[in-house]
Amino acid sequence: MTTPEEALGRGRAAVAERRARGEDLDAGAGFRVEPADNVDPAQLLEWAVIEPDPELVYSTRRLGAPVTLVKRLLIRALRQYIVQFVDQQTRFNLQLASLVSELDRRVARLEELSREGGGSAPPT
Amino acid sequence: MIVHQLLSGAGPHDAVTGQARAYRALFSGWGWGGEDVAAALDPRVNGDVRPLARLKPAPEDVLVFHFSAYAPRLRAALDLPGPKLLVSHNVTPARWLWRYDPASAVQCAVGRAQLPEFARRVDLAAGVSAYNAAELEAAGAPAVEVLPILFDRARLEAAGPPRPPGGSAPLILFVGRLTPHKRQDEVIRAFALYRRLHAADAQLVLVGEPQPRGFDDRLRELAEQLAPGAVTIEGALNRAQLAQRYRRADAFLCLSEHEGFLVPLLETFHYGVPVVARAVGGVPEVAGDAVLLLDPQSDHEPAVVAELLHLAVTDEALRSELRRRGERRLEHFSHEAVARRIRAAVERVASGVSSR
Repeated sequence: MTTPEEALGRGRAAVAERRARGEDLDAGAGFRVEPADNVDPAQLLEWAVIEPDPELVYSTRRLGAPVTLVKRLLIRALRQYIVQFVDQQTRFNLQLASLVSELDRRVARLEELSREGGGSAPPT
Repeated sequence: MIVHQLLSGAGPHDAVTGQARAYRALFSGWGWGGEDVAAALDPRVNGDVRPLARLKPAPEDVLVFHFSAYAPRLRAALDLPGPKLLVSHNVTPARWLWRYDPASAVQCAVGRAQLPEFARRVDLAAGVSAYNAAELEAAGAPAVEVLPILFDRARLEAAGPPRPPGGSAPLILFVGRLTPHKRQDEVIRAFALYRRLHAADAQLVLVGEPQPRGFDDRLRELAEQLAPGAVTIEGALNRAQLAQRYRRADAFLCLSEHEGFLVPLLETFHYGVPVVARAVGGVPEVAGDAVLLLDPQSDHEPAVVAELLHLAVTDEALRSELRRRGERRLEHFSHEAVARRIRAAVERVASGVSSR
């Protein structure tokens, strides 16, 4: 019998034994949820381009298919207007993301120079 | 007494809306009046929760805020004169949502930033777990208390006889929204390894509505890749269907990275299903000693999860001990006990203001 308190220890020991026997314990590749703790400039650039998906516009009502249709027709009807603000926001986002990328590169370069200079203050 | 409840949002399968309804049933039973309103209302909610704009409270009416996400219009209600109780249902850290559900990520990020203001401006702030309550205390709440989730096992279906251990085609279950921080991707991965190491005919059932829409497709794709034909993903089920899934389950596996409380744990205790879960947030408080808990720092390996699942499915003495302890946890979270605490909290808020 295993008590609840012993179970985790037994589980870990079983894994160690398998590993010692050289068993393959790889759980496989594929989709893996990634938290966004430190969003890097590359990810920022990807997010900067706004691409709303009309397929995600829908009605949650029971028998809401006609409502979904109306909502999507409305998006199509307002397309010229929507494209304008998506483009303007994307322009701002991309420029800002590019600026952040450039600053990131400059900070990295300054840090490198600072290390090469034995810890003295980076040149300004 | 008149007690109004104010929600960030209300939906048909939303846990916070369910809690507000359970509170309302208690209030009505105690002869208290009032109405329930929400800043954002899903059209499927049928009339018992009304738009926030409809709320016209008298100065002495008690206001209970159920806080679960950013709600700009709810903030204005803090200026109302009545005594106020905040019930924080925990806001998911946005880091889990930015990549997959930007709209919810924004709501969560701003909601977490807004929580301190709510915590400071109410007369009493309550968390559904000590984990939540600690957040409120850190946010500067003047008075903090724990009001666990109101859980009524009498509303569940009968548990049925315990599943015999080690039967053919073991069924592993997880119940919870299909959303990034609940880590159904990890559940699928660990389950696939469990199948390979111990039970080639095992089945996995994931129950929950996708949020964001389409997240279930990514999980389906992963399941087909790692355990073809062995994973079933189901949307929201009715009470009888859910009971049937619990009765058929040999073990419940939760690898969520963040939980304020985790109500399905209490359901597993009721149905006598052994649980393997990651010890995060409010999970250890609810689980007590009745769950096989994984250390979130050191037990990230799917192989350890697979071995624990094997024990939970096959070791009858272990299963029986977990069932016994689960019953004890249900007593701890009994409907009557939590109802008494809620009543005491509301009366404390009401009397505190009237004695000023």
